[in-house]
Amino acid sequence: MSEEVKIVEKKKIPTGATLLFAFPDVGLVGVIAASHLIDELGLTEVAYLDSNLLPPLIVLHEGLPHSSIRIFAGQDTLLAVSEVPIPTDVIYPIMDALINWGKSKNVKMMISLSGIPIQDRQDVTELKSFAAASNAEALKTAQEKGLEILTEGYMVGPQAVVLQRAAEAGSPALTLLAQCFYNYPDPEAAAEVLKELAKITGLKVNVAKLLEKGEEIRLRARDVMKRTQQEMSKMKKSQEYDIPMYVS
Amino acid sequence: MSIRKRQSISDIIDEYFEDMEKWAEQVRETLSERPCWDLKTCAIEPLREITVTPTEVIVTVDLPYAKKETVQVKVVNATSLEIFAEMKKKIRLTELGVTHRKGVIQRFHGWIRIPVTVNIDKMRVQNKKGILEIKLPRKR
Repeated sequence: MSEEVKIVEKKKIPTGATLLFAFPDVGLVGVIAASHLIDELGLTEVAYLDSNLLPPLIVLHEGLPHSSIRIFAGQDTLLAVSEVPIPTDVIYPIMDALINWGKSKNVKMMISLSGIPIQDRQDVTELKSFAAASNAEALKTAQEKGLEILTEGYMVGPQAVVLQRAAEAGSPALTLLAQCFYNYPDPEAAAEVLKELAKITGLKVNVAKLLEKGEEIRLRARDVMKRTQQEMSKMKKSQEYDIPMYVS
Repeated sequence: MSIRKRQSISDIIDEYFEDMEKWAEQVRETLSERPCWDLKTCAIEPLREITVTPTEVIVTVDLPYAKKETVQVKVVNATSLEIFAEMKKKIRLTELGVTHRKGVIQRFHGWIRIPVTVNIDKMRVQNKKGILEIKLPRKR
């Protein structure tokens, strides 16, 4: 693990769990989904990330400071989540630290929760979801569970690093992507990605409350979305719209 | 002494546009370093997106909690629009997690600058799922 980034454990960490990643990205799909998972499953904070590579920022909750990148746990589940976008220039070291920490806990699979932006999202009533995998084994698992595969395209952001590193290590990892707004918080897409997660992990959560509170979530998430837009612009996130050209 | 590599015209143009983009980004960030809400007017600035296609400009505005019948798009001039919408209920700042200030938010208010010339008289507006969509045909 890089010395510039450390994971501080506060409680006993379960081993052999599934490690989920949820970071601010298009539609804030992962973060909204993570917040709902934490509430519904009663996940507790077990560790946090500390790094001088990140801006000097803490999140105050009930008067006490918390790291912006925290790890929650429940039975067989670990969830790494951030309330603020990770600055583009430190995504690699931050993700490397989290991935290596996950490996040290013998996680059985790493799954990123995110979105894939579509134009005219407001006209779409039935959102589709896709999966991308780190290796043939994970790809087969996703297909067998009925997930549609994102066969070609570009992926930009923390989830790209997770797939890349897992592929290098031969570890199973998936990215689940629900169609979503690019620039607006999208609770409906978060609900879709949670349905896909349930197919893979069996982690079933009721998304009715999430959909019911959709407008409130969109309003509350407004500023995080705005900050995320700025970071997405820096990392050229819009490249995900591009027509892929795979050179074979 | 540094020796500058000879560049093609297209490289120079690309570099120029990249520099312009970075500068515009810095300006945008500086301008956005303020709260999105204004307690004097009880208004919050909505998120918005502007897409320029070869034939039209499409503006979308995220208006969660807005009363559909109160949404107004006012043409300020040939390049600017003003958006208003009342919310379904007054929202205290504490409900949004802002505990160091007292106040309520009860409307959306925002300005939109259209980046290319358009036929503003032919503006089409619709509201779907709390997303306001404004289509403006480009002037030929």
